[in-house]
Amino acid sequence: MPTSPVPSALSGITAVGGSPASSPSVTGASLRSAITALSARSKATADNIANIATPGFLANRVQFEDALAQAAASGSRGSAGFEMLRSLEPTRIDGNNVNLDRETLTSIDTGLRYQLMLRAVDDRFSLLRASMRTSG
Amino acid sequence: MSMFSVLGVASSGVTVYRKWLDAVSDNISNMNTVRATSQDAFQARYVIAQAVDYGQGTGGAQVGGIALGSAEGRMVYSPDHPLADGEGYVRMPDIDLSSQMTQLIMAQRGYQANLSVVDRARDAYTAAVNLGRNS
Repeated sequence: MPTSPVPSALSGITAVGGSPASSPSVTGASLRSAITALSARSKATADNIANIATPGFLANRVQFEDALAQAAASGSRGSAGFEMLRSLEPTRIDGNNVNLDRETLTSIDTGLRYQLMLRAVDDRFSLLRASMRTSG
Repeated sequence: MSMFSVLGVASSGVTVYRKWLDAVSDNISNMNTVRATSQDAFQARYVIAQAVDYGQGTGGAQVGGIALGSAEGRMVYSPDHPLADGEGYVRMPDIDLSSQMTQLIMAQRGYQANLSVVDRARDAYTAAVNLGRNS
């Protein structure tokens, strides 16, 4: 999976997520992690857009690609988590640093990635179903 | 994280911007509201947005408060007006139309941005709801 553009400056982690449950396969674990993290990212982006006029609001960022790539490379069947961080990019005069262009693009990008992951899950289910349907 | 949480977050944003639009349209419609000099002028209302839980927990935005414009307004010499005082002055609100129009555009854009988030979230959730149906 290509990594999203890395933000220039981020503060400490404000939240971590992802379930510690393990899956029967590396693919299943990766898909589960990606869907959980993408869903968190779309919520964070919606939060940023809702707060575009809130004085003193710093944009939320969700990072998970590196952790997921590492977990997949090491063949781990546990879920890779995600981290929620706060952007430290320069703010406007009201102390807010949400950039609508960027958030809109992130929102579209995240929505498409989410649907892509769902399709991958769906394909795995179809495979399973097809193998069950085959009769001798 | 509750089910379909993006919709809740985006709709909280839509609500904030709708209230801002309401406030701006009220300010504009009362731009020429005349009061006697013994009374306060019509005070413009400014919506102050606030983050819910500041990004933790539920997330989203809410109206944190309303700031009021100047109660003093500006004194206008209008001796023919029925509300004019002995010296011929009435009190008009101190509302700047260009500032209100700018805010109107900002509020409208914010409203639209949040609604398009709702649209995209709906597409993504529809895909999730249809998981496993196409085989």
